[in-house]
Amino acid sequence: MSADTSTTEAITSPPEQATRERLYRYALFACAAVSILVTLGIVLVLGYGAIDFFQQYDPVAFYTGTEWIINRDKLGVLPLLSGTVLVTVLSAMVALPIGLAAATYLSEYASERARSVLKPALEILAGIPTVVYGYFALVYVTPFLQALGLPLGTFNVLGASIMVGIMILPMVSSLSEDAMSSVPDSLRQAGYGMGATKFEVSTGVVIPAAVSGIFSSFILALSRAIGETMIVAVAMGQSPQLISVADPLSNVFESNLPMTSAMVQLVQAENAGGVIYQSMFAIGLTLFVVTFLMNLASNRIAAHYREEYE
Amino acid sequence: MTRETACNVSRRELLLGAGGVGATALSGCVENVQSESADDDRGQVVVKGSSTVYLISDQMREAFMSDRNVNVTVDATGTGGGFKNHFCPGTSDINGASRPITEEESNSCGSNDVDPIEFQVGRDALTVAVNNDADWIGDGMTFDELSQIWRADGANRWNEIRDDWPDEPIKLYGPAATSGTFDWFKNNVIGESYNHTSDHEPSEEDNKIIQGIQDNTYAMGYFGFAYYSDNSDRVQAVPVAADADSDYVEPSLDNAIEGAYPMTRPLFIYVNQESLSRDAVFDFTAFYLENASTELVSEVGYVPSSEELRDENLAKLLRERP
Amino acid sequence: MAVDEGSWYGQDSGVSQVRGQLFEAICLLATSVGIVSVLILLLYVTLDAFEPLTADPGWHLVFLLTLVLPATLLAIYYYRSSDPAGEVAYVTTGLPIVGLLLSGGVLVVFAELLAIKEWFALALSLGAVGVVWYAHKRGRPSAVLERFGILILGTAVSVFGLPPTALARVAGLPKRIVSLRELVLELPYLPLSSLQVVATLTLPVAALAGLFVARRRASRRDGVVAAALIVTGALFGPVIDAVVGINGEVWVVLVTMTAVPVAVYIEGVVRRKEGVAGLAFPLVLVGGVAVGTVLVNALGFAGPDVWLDWSYLTSAPSTTPEEAGIYPALVGSVMLLLVIVAMTFPVGVGAAIYLEEYAPSNGLVGKFVTLIEINIANLAGVPSVVYGLLGLALFINFVHLPSGSVIVGGLTVGLLILPIIIISAQEALEAVPDSMRQASYGMGATRWQTTRNVVLPEALPGIMTGTILGLGRAIGETAPLLLVGIAASVGLAPAGFLDLTGAMPRQIFTWAFEPKPEFRYGVLAAGVVTLLAVLLVMNATAIVIRNKYQRE
Repeated sequence: MSADTSTTEAITSPPEQATRERLYRYALFACAAVSILVTLGIVLVLGYGAIDFFQQYDPVAFYTGTEWIINRDKLGVLPLLSGTVLVTVLSAMVALPIGLAAATYLSEYASERARSVLKPALEILAGIPTVVYGYFALVYVTPFLQALGLPLGTFNVLGASIMVGIMILPMVSSLSEDAMSSVPDSLRQAGYGMGATKFEVSTGVVIPAAVSGIFSSFILALSRAIGETMIVAVAMGQSPQLISVADPLSNVFESNLPMTSAMVQLVQAENAGGVIYQSMFAIGLTLFVVTFLMNLASNRIAAHYREEYE
Repeated sequence: MTRETACNVSRRELLLGAGGVGATALSGCVENVQSESADDDRGQVVVKGSSTVYLISDQMREAFMSDRNVNVTVDATGTGGGFKNHFCPGTSDINGASRPITEEESNSCGSNDVDPIEFQVGRDALTVAVNNDADWIGDGMTFDELSQIWRADGANRWNEIRDDWPDEPIKLYGPAATSGTFDWFKNNVIGESYNHTSDHEPSEEDNKIIQGIQDNTYAMGYFGFAYYSDNSDRVQAVPVAADADSDYVEPSLDNAIEGAYPMTRPLFIYVNQESLSRDAVFDFTAFYLENASTELVSEVGYVPSSEELRDENLAKLLRERP
Repeated sequence: MAVDEGSWYGQDSGVSQVRGQLFEAICLLATSVGIVSVLILLLYVTLDAFEPLTADPGWHLVFLLTLVLPATLLAIYYYRSSDPAGEVAYVTTGLPIVGLLLSGGVLVVFAELLAIKEWFALALSLGAVGVVWYAHKRGRPSAVLERFGILILGTAVSVFGLPPTALARVAGLPKRIVSLRELVLELPYLPLSSLQVVATLTLPVAALAGLFVARRRASRRDGVVAAALIVTGALFGPVIDAVVGINGEVWVVLVTMTAVPVAVYIEGVVRRKEGVAGLAFPLVLVGGVAVGTVLVNALGFAGPDVWLDWSYLTSAPSTTPEEAGIYPALVGSVMLLLVIVAMTFPVGVGAAIYLEEYAPSNGLVGKFVTLIEINIANLAGVPSVVYGLLGLALFINFVHLPSGSVIVGGLTVGLLILPIIIISAQEALEAVPDSMRQASYGMGATRWQTTRNVVLPEALPGIMTGTILGLGRAIGETAPLLLVGIAASVGLAPAGFLDLTGAMPRQIFTWAFEPKPEFRYGVLAAGVVTLLAVLLVMNATAIVIRNKYQRE
């Protein structure tokens, strides 16, 4: 049998091979470690900037101040926080129920044909750039809502939140649908065997079984809504307001300034020098910590409540 | 599948062969290092700064680039932001400013060896506007009446200023507290002893102010003339008088150039002296200053510089060129 | 056995169908509400960009009869009949479009980045290195490390010279050895530029196509014939050049990048004789447009007053709405994408390979690896402004790269989508059945050999789909670009990677705040439609790749 030089090589030169293997392992490990470097970088940048800022501006005043007026050096983050909270809550009211219902339909009721159309369609929703969504909110959605008779300002929380909700909808629906699809069929069959209707099985068996995944998808979507920048920068205006309990509708119909939009404003502000510019890092740090904690919470909840099936 | 290797060259043979080829190549392929021509990059000018001056700079950019291959980029970062983050660190060549440079900024630039040279390139006529249906305004308003409305804890209803005006709350729209227009209005119309009201709907973008006024019959706002001149059918401009003895003057370019209109603020560009040693920057600045008195500026809605100012600027430019 | 008085479930009433049907209807409504509302918004934007309502009714009628009606009828016919025809129809319509986009991209590269002769010189010098490398492989097949060294050294010397000019200046050397690239550039006579393109672009593509055809038809002769045909077709370009004097490069690039893939695909369809009816669809479309245009010109109907036309796509931004264009922003966005791909694809796929194939799951390193995975999942959810801050602090303030340049924008957005790429590549690798890996190990292969020869080819379609979708996200990101200094108004497309650039989403953001209303309703709509069109092509490519390989 003629000797196969190629295979002989592979077997008879282990030392060179082993070095190469080790080289590849280290190179690939370095690639994976880049992500750690990125996180470190973010933490360092935000940390240094925030520390620098807090040395020049009292952190207590920053975190409890109720006015955000740059020209008069009034840098209280509470109006920004209330703007973010408003947007998040409103967009959650849009996205969470609709997303969950969509996920239920896709995983329980839809035929193969319908799924092959609806799933890509939802993915396209996720792929539209956020600046385009902001443009839609400003130029089409707000005039439409105004034509319906709602007393909206040109820049208002409602239009922007609706578009943020539509933007995070695919996230909720696809993650929830994954969770619901991974519920084993035996549970459903058991339900049917007991005489339950499809509605009862879907709402009484599948959704509770998948609740960890659904909940974690909610949290991820909310964290995305908190971090959303362009939609609110284009469509929500720049007047920070605290949540007003006296006039609740004004929260929704008027303009507001969430944290992300405040950062964009600082980049283009006429009088942002020194302390005011540094506040961007403090806001960024707050945002980062909040979204990081929410993502961690989402992972822990999913892991903690996940039902283990064989 | 076996691969038949035609020959198996030993390392020594390889080195000898490579050495021979290399020597032949070397003999013919040597050149002098300095013979390379200078970098033929096409020249670039980086302009940052005020969003008010941005409109003028963008016009200048377009006209300048129409027959030259220079890459001029213009960005609206705000006057203060432009100084702090781009001009003083030396990464931008020109900073547009809607107010003079402060001493602090000047020192900060100096510590980076950046020497800012100031040129005034025009003026911005501020316009006070009300809704098209607000027919009670009459001939106009004085600075004092405006101050009463716009100061902190000022008048809230129209009839608090003049009895024959409607008994309706005044809805105020204006620039955000970060804008230069805001600062100028506060210092020159409201008065330095008062604060600007915080009860107005602020916005960085003037067309949003216009939309706000348009939507509300009892609204009032102020903004740059540029946005008014493009949207003059959507709102109604209010003629103003500096004090009770002067006439009410309508905001218009002619009135502003003549000096009759009292509400104008100067606009500047600051050029890094070191950048002027580059041809691209020098040519662009010269073009800018020369055309600051033409309709390139008035097209955007600002007041062009006068001819004397233009000549003064050009002379200064030639003097300051390193 | 007595059924006693105890009630049993469902005893009293029939099971209500209504509740279930209502629930299903509500869920379906929910699924469609998002999709339908976005579709309506997209329709509005397209209407604003193309303003079809400003055209004569006659214009509409003509094109309805010559284009819309036949195309719809054909589409219905495909839907009703067998599937292959429909798939062939949309591939033969989509392939030329993608090919045209690629050709456009290559032509833009020649116009902005590299002159044709620079490309020619670069290709020749790289080719020389390739020849040397191959000779070494034949002569000393086992000296792998040496070959690798020759590859690196050879490329450096051939492309940059020994030493590169900048280094020589710094080191103060009086003389240096020029690179092969510079030698070629200084030749007194170079072939026609279109011939240069033929030599460097068409020949490799023809060779690849020939190999592909030869393998499919199982005949070497057919492969050679195919390659020869392609080269002959491309050679028309230089002929036109020599005879008429117009630049033949456009023809050569079009033939190479557009006609070749289409021809190869059509050859496959015709040979397999399935779905041939689908080939009629693009013909109907093109024919309909041609006939319609002729009729409209003959009858004198005015077309719509579009905002998005060819001059919009090729002009620079302007302060006059009618003359505004998106060309520099478009080129800038594409160059940003190039930087992003070059940066994230190797690092992202490498990280995913490590996490899937190499990472131990216990011990100290195992814990570290779990930390990395959690970290990546969290990074994917960090707001985009924070990445902008990171890019500002790291690339501009620390490394002092020029603010607002292609490379800074690309690196920053690349960092943003890196976690997304890693996660989707990991999922693709995870989907490869473990039995394949085990089989390879059983044959005595090492881990790297298994990964490279077994796992990667299997997971490659999934990885590519994930990468394309990630790039689609990258092209639309605005906030990091704002913070990194990408300017609002850029008039020239970037000519190199350190040049200042604009980007499409940044341009859209600028236009949204311009004073003149036409900007906000006309020009802005056109920009949005352009951006969405690019995205649509990218997403469609990703979906087609995924569908094709999922079925195999």
